Amino acid sequence: MIDTIIRIRDGGGFVEFPGSFPEDATVLDALETLRARAEADVPGAGVEGPGTGRGGAPTVRVPHYRHSCHHGSCGTCGAVVNGLPALMCLTRLADLAAPRPREPGGPPAGPVRGTSGELVVVLEPLRRGTVISGIAARPTAALAGIPEEYSYLRSSEDAGRAPPPADPTRAAAPGGLSAGSAGPGRVRFEACIECGLCSSACPVTTPFIGPAALAAVNRQREKSPDSAERMLEVAGKPDGAPACERHLHCSRVCPQAVYPGKHIQLLRNALAGRAQ
Amino acid sequence: MFDPPILSRHDARICVAGGGGSGAALAYDLALRGFSVLLVEKGEFTSGTTGRHHGQLHSGARYAVGDRAIARECMEETLVLRRIAPQALEYNGGIFAAIRDDEADYAPAFISACLEAGIPAREIPVSEARVSEPALNPRTKRTVWVPDGTIDAFRLAASFLAAAAALGAELRAFTELVGIETGGGRIRGGTLRGPDGREERVSFDGLVSATGAWAGRVGSLAGLDIPVTPAPGTMVAVRGRLSDLVLSRLAPPGDGDILVPQRGLSVIGSTQRRADSPEGILPTKEEIEFLLSRGDELVPGFSSAPFHAAWAAARPLAGRADSDAEGRAISRDFAVLDHGDEGAAGMFTLIGGKATVLRAMARKAADEVCAFLGDPEPCRTAEYPLPSWRSLDGYLEGSGATGRGAGSRRPEGGAA
Ligand SMILES: Cc1cc2nc3c(=O)[nH]c(=O)nc-3n(C[C@H](O)[C@H](O)[C@H](O)COP(=O)(O)OP(=O)(O)OC[C@H]3O[C@@H](n4cnc5c(N)ncnc54)[C@H](O)[C@@H]3O)c2cc1C
Ligand code: SF4
Ligand code: FES
Repeated sequence: MIDTIIRIRDGGGFVEFPGSFPEDATVLDALETLRARAEADVPGAGVEGPGTGRGGAPTVRVPHYRHSCHHGSCGTCGAVVNGLPALMCLTRLADLAAPRPREPGGPPAGPVRGTSGELVVVLEPLRRGTVISGIAARPTAALAGIPEEYSYLRSSEDAGRAPPPADPTRAAAPGGLSAGSAGPGRVRFEACIECGLCSSACPVTTPFIGPAALAAVNRQREKSPDSAERMLEVAGKPDGAPACERHLHCSRVCPQAVYPGKHIQLLRNALAGRAQ
Repeated sequence: MFDPPILSRHDARICVAGGGGSGAALAYDLALRGFSVLLVEKGEFTSGTTGRHHGQLHSGARYAVGDRAIARECMEETLVLRRIAPQALEYNGGIFAAIRDDEADYAPAFISACLEAGIPAREIPVSEARVSEPALNPRTKRTVWVPDGTIDAFRLAASFLAAAAALGAELRAFTELVGIETGGGRIRGGTLRGPDGREERVSFDGLVSATGAWAGRVGSLAGLDIPVTPAPGTMVAVRGRLSDLVLSRLAPPGDGDILVPQRGLSVIGSTQRRADSPEGILPTKEEIEFLLSRGDELVPGFSSAPFHAAWAAARPLAGRADSDAEGRAISRDFAVLDHGDEGAAGMFTLIGGKATVLRAMARKAADEVCAFLGDPEPCRTAEYPLPSWRSLDGYLEGSGATGRGAGSRRPEGGAA
């Protein structure tokens, strides 16, 4: 078990919850446990050593947070965890007890400790997100630049496998990859889960559609020759690839190894090729 | 572009409690039928069972032997979802694999039940299955192909929410229904607690509780006794896409017998136990170990792939925690409970089912609402491809869905 203090941003201040959790618990598991205790109908089942508000007044309400899949697939549970944008469902308390950068691109530093040696976990909403309440923030701006024609499907790595068995239902529901993409073979979702961690970490302050949007633009360009020209137009605008300052924090914090910085570089190369 | 015609408008205002897949599909269905809709969800949308399910697009094969009607409905709904929400599905088909001798003996009954339910299951040579999915256990004795697939749990439900919002439904996250008001034997309105903790009284003419494992608690707000026991099931994801097709055991439904690929992950599930509360349910070590070993039976080496995550979601089980009712069968079908005889006319509870049949569940509940209001309107949700889940955020922020951001464009030739 790890003795922990979870400090959660709520409006202008923080609310603090002490608790003891298993080492392999994720930050989201810890929040869910705190919330379940606080919401339990059983009298006296409130949080152990109730959370204290700014004025020291007892409160048991855990500030709002977003979550859905609990396995790094939906992209809703992003937060700034001890300074670094991360998915709460994939960040274990044990990860936070080990050396870890305290800001995007920063050097690893030892864990944050409380006065009695507890692990301190500070949770804040994603930067550039639209805060609903507590640390619940939607990364709307980070995703707004994703082109509508971007397909979320791509062909799956077939790794030399034979095609899937024949499918008599295809006629009734064509589905699968969209027109312009490779044939009706094996499909899978794109890697990007649209969590917005990349934009939260990005230091660029000028108008910028952001790393996730540019990664999508490049993926669509690569997949669909029909879209390529339109995608390059989007990428070439002043708030597209030219706005990127190559800090590469996006690629460092991305939980899905999308490497948005690489996609931006590929767009730059394609734009340069087109200009010639 | 998503722009279905609304054929007639009705004055009635319907509140949908619960922003999981069922509530999402229902809000869209009612809005398309011309009703004014208010959907409230106490957490983030899909933060209940929906976001955490196993992600299998069920052809119905799993249920065919036990219940042809449920299986047939799954098959019909998979075809509809593949047409209206292709972007939220990895559709590649599935294989049922017999690994033990008794499983091989199950094949004929399984295939004929599927065919009776309209599912085009067929036996394929094990060698064909294994060149297609080489990860499959080499000791596999028989293999049957079925039209299963993968659902992005969050994005399928969010696409329905986006459709509802596009038609003017009001969607409120972090808003809990904390009180239900009846008068003269019917529903009058309720009390909502918003994200800032403030409470507000609202009037409505109908209420559908699509609150899954929470349905008992919500029913009690109206003084109703709806016995529901939360029954958590666990899933474990490892890294690596071990197959593209969904792999299942050729056997009656059991624990740890389905492996669903999704993006770069392979997910084995699930299990079932009972809990006192649907909140804060976490997987146990025993469940995780059990599932990893079951994964090894389908795909040898599964448990040595890098561990990614384990999580649990609660099924709503009919009955009380202390009753002996056997859960697995009960929770597979869905029900629309009409509370008219209990002093709450106009209130319904929509419960059970599968994420795969969310649209059919919504249709049945919306039909009941229409019958209650005396406004018959046909269900048309199978007709229109849904808008992208990405348009939802724009509606939630009040800026509409389109024209945001320099890179947004209208589809040309259309991806979705
Ligand atoms: C372990 C497991 C695996 C599964 N796997 C699959 C699968 O592979 N494929 C498949 O098709 N189906 C699967 N299912 C079934 C599927 O998950 C459910 O059928 C579906 O998600 C139910 O959705 P729902 O909207 O009815 O319930 P929920 O998603 O639980 O939605 C109910 C919502 O109501 C909200 N709520 C509660 N009280 C209130 C209140 N007072 N006010 C406002 N909101 C409130 C809750 O927060 C919750 O979000 C699985 C289920 C489980 C448990
Ligand atoms: S590129 Fe990576 S960090 Fe950015 S939204 Fe996609 S998954 Fe998240
Ligand atoms: S809850 Fe889905 S990514 Fe964390």
